[in-house]
Amino acid sequence: MKVGITLNINGDMYEALVGANQTLLEVLRDKFGLMGTKRGCDLGACGACTVLVDGEAHLSCIMLAVDAVDREIVTIEGLGTRTGLHPLQKAFVEKGALQCGFCTPGMIMTAKSALDEDPHPTEEAIKKKMAGNLCRCTGYTKIVEAVMSVAENEEGGV
Amino acid sequence: MRLPKFEYFEPATVDEASSILLDRPGAKILAGGTDLLVNMKHRVETPAVLVNIKKIPNLSYVRSENGGLAIGALTRLKKVFGHPDVADRAGALAGAASSVGSYHHQTMGTLGGNVLQQTRCKFFNQSKWWRSSRPLCYKAGGEMCYVVNKKETCFSSYCGDVAPALLVLDASATLSGANGTRSVKLSELYSGEGRKPLQIKLEETLTEITIPAESLRGISVYRKVANRESIDFPIVGAAVWASFDKKEYRVAYTAVDRKPVRALKAEELLNGEDLNDALLDEAAALAAKEATPVKSSLYAPSYKRKMMGTLLKTSLRELMGRAGQ
Repeated sequence: MKVGITLNINGDMYEALVGANQTLLEVLRDKFGLMGTKRGCDLGACGACTVLVDGEAHLSCIMLAVDAVDREIVTIEGLGTRTGLHPLQKAFVEKGALQCGFCTPGMIMTAKSALDEDPHPTEEAIKKKMAGNLCRCTGYTKIVEAVMSVAENEEGGV
Repeated sequence: MRLPKFEYFEPATVDEASSILLDRPGAKILAGGTDLLVNMKHRVETPAVLVNIKKIPNLSYVRSENGGLAIGALTRLKKVFGHPDVADRAGALAGAASSVGSYHHQTMGTLGGNVLQQTRCKFFNQSKWWRSSRPLCYKAGGEMCYVVNKKETCFSSYCGDVAPALLVLDASATLSGANGTRSVKLSELYSGEGRKPLQIKLEETLTEITIPAESLRGISVYRKVANRESIDFPIVGAAVWASFDKKEYRVAYTAVDRKPVRALKAEELLNGEDLNDALLDEAAALAAKEATPVKSSLYAPSYKRKMMGTLLKTSLRELMGRAGQ
C-alpha cells in the first residue's frame, strides 16, 4: 500500500506516493531526481548514500523514506549554489580529493556533519568519522587534506 | 536492492506497540534499522509487519538514577558515548558504543537495537544469490547448520560490541509488554541458541538499560580485534571491569559464542588477588576456554581463543596503568 508523504529536502517541500518499503535513497533518486546522492553497496557499508538528517550524517540506503517525514534532509544538491561552491566542495576540487567522483557526495556530506559537530577536529578524529566512506580511487590522503584545510580555515560553522 | 514488502506501523506509545506485536505474529520492531534493514535486503529476515518505535517519545535519554545510570533504549549510540557520565564513569560502554560500525551507524543505531541485534554467520549474512548455491541454512529457514554440519542447530555468533560492556557493568534491561514492565539481568536476554538468540516475549519492547552505582565505582575498558578497526564487526571483543580497591574483576566477550559470555572462571581466579604477569597469563589461558568459538566467520576458532587471552591481558594492563597499580 502506498502512502502520501511530504519531505523537507534542502529547504523545499517534496510530495510523493511511496511504499513503506522504499528507502530514502530510492525516493531521493527515483521520485525526486536528486541524483547527487549515490547508490553504492546499498547495504549501509560504503557511505556513498550519506545525507544529512536533522544535521547528522545518515545512510539513506538503510533508512525508510516514511521515517524521514518531519525531519530536515540535506543532500549534496543543498550545498553551495549554482555560482558558488560550498567551502568543502571547493577544497575537494583544489586539493584533488576526487578522481571518479562517485564517493564524493557522501564524503562531503559526512565531512560537513563532522565539521558541524566539531569545527576544529584533529586529523585522527576526521579519519575516524570518515572511515565509513569508502573511496576506491584516491587513497584517502587528499580527502583528509581537503577536509582539514576547511577545518583550519573555518571560522564558525561550515 | 529493494526491501521486501511489509505492513508498517508507527505506534505513539509502548502499549500501542505491544498490542500491534501481539495482534500480528511475525511483526518486528524497527529502531535504528542498521541491522534489521540490511538483513531484510538480504532476505534473511522478512517480517510481514514492521513496528517503528522511534516515534514513541521519552525513550532517548541518559540520566543518573540512585547513583547509577539509566539509559533509554532509543538513545543513539553517538549520544551514549558522547554523554559525559558515560564517558567518565562507564569507560567500557563508551568504548564499545564508539567502536560500533562507522560514524553513520553510531548516528543512526540505538543502544537497544545494538543490544538486541541478530547473531551473525558467514552462511547467513549473505545475499540471496550467494545463498542460492546450496539449500538454506537452519537459521535462514533450512535444515542444516553448515558451520558444524549438523541438522536443526545454529551456531551463528553474537557480535554486538555493546553487550559485553554492559555485562561487566552488571547492567539490567527493562522490558515493557502487555502485562506491565519487568527488569532482567542483561545476560537473561540471550538464549544461547543461534536461530532464536533472544529470550524476549513476543509483545515486549526493550525500553531502558540500567547500570548500578556499584559498577560505576570501578574502571572499565572495551577492546576489540577487527579486520578494519574503524568500521567492522569484532573478530573478538572483550570488556574488562576492575575495582582495584576491592580486588574484584569482571571479564566478558563478544563474537566468540552464540551469546555474549562472561569469563567466570577467569574472574574467580583473579578476584581477591593483586595482579601480576604470571596471574594474567594464567587468567588469559583460562578465559580462552570459556567460550566455544566455531568457524562462523572467516577467522579460525583457535585464533579467536588466542585473541581472547591477549585482549584480557592488554585490557587489564591498561586498567592497571590507569589505576596506578
